[in-house]
Amino acid sequence: MSTFSFRTRPKASEEKSLAVSHLSRAITVNGVLDTDGELRIHGHVLGRVNAERLVIAPGGSVEGDVVATDALIEGRLNGRIFAINVTLESSAEITGRVFHNTITVARGARIDARMPWRPPSYFETLDQLPETRE
Amino acid sequence: MTMFNRSDKPADAPDTTRVQTPAPAPEPVRPQPVSQPMASAARPSSSTGVSVISRALKITGQLESTEDIRIDGEVDGDVRGVSVTVGNGARVKGTVYGDAVELAGTVDGKIEAKKVVLTGTARMTGDVVHQDIKIESGAFIDGHLKPEFGKSDGKSKAASTPRPVEVKQPV
Repeated sequence: MSTFSFRTRPKASEEKSLAVSHLSRAITVNGVLDTDGELRIHGHVLGRVNAERLVIAPGGSVEGDVVATDALIEGRLNGRIFAINVTLESSAEITGRVFHNTITVARGARIDARMPWRPPSYFETLDQLPETRE
Repeated sequence: MTMFNRSDKPADAPDTTRVQTPAPAPEPVRPQPVSQPMASAARPSSSTGVSVISRALKITGQLESTEDIRIDGEVDGDVRGVSVTVGNGARVKGTVYGDAVELAGTVDGKIEAKKVVLTGTARMTGDVVHQDIKIESGAFIDGHLKPEFGKSDGKSKAASTPRPVEVKQPV
């Protein structure tokens, strides 16, 4: 009985927590990354990123479009963010656009971007990204 | 004072709008994840070491690392690392390059590594170019095993045969 409760408890917590993928500082990815879990980028990504929760760590960089529910940017991003909750930390460097529903910007963040607000329904129907590049 | 009390709204009218306006902004879609990555990303230890492609991640494209890579998800493209582990249930469609490659999942393509380990759950479709290979019982291989790693193109970087000629010292 005791082993039963021991086994079920971690399993329940596993289901709640997202599968975490981690790209180290030394990695370069060229292409499309798609996950319904968490993705932490310490390295460099050239391409498109889809994640439930995205973290671009300090020193990490993404060149391309990013779609996420939660996005925490501490590194560099050249492209567009489509995320309901966006957090731009002081070490962030953003060039492009930040489509968001809620946003937090720390003092010191370098932002050269338009930051349009969108209702949550906008992000649910985001199968195809709009063409906003100019 | 009169400036702020615009026109002549009834006293209860602002109350109803105030109650209703916060409602259409349903921000608590997933409120708790916001604080979590902040704490976890602050860990400096996570910036180094192995890259993990989790079960939930699919990559279409190339991966290149000067460190280790562990793949539990799906990669449609080439993978290049120092030590590359393709876990049980993972799938790679492309070439896996590395110093050491351990395969417990599926590779549809090619493996090029100095040291190759195919575990009992490995499923390899394609050639394996190696210098040193270990195959456990249960591994599936449909392809050629070629003990040619470092013999054709990797001659210059082959560290296994240190020749005295290579020892050049600045004069």
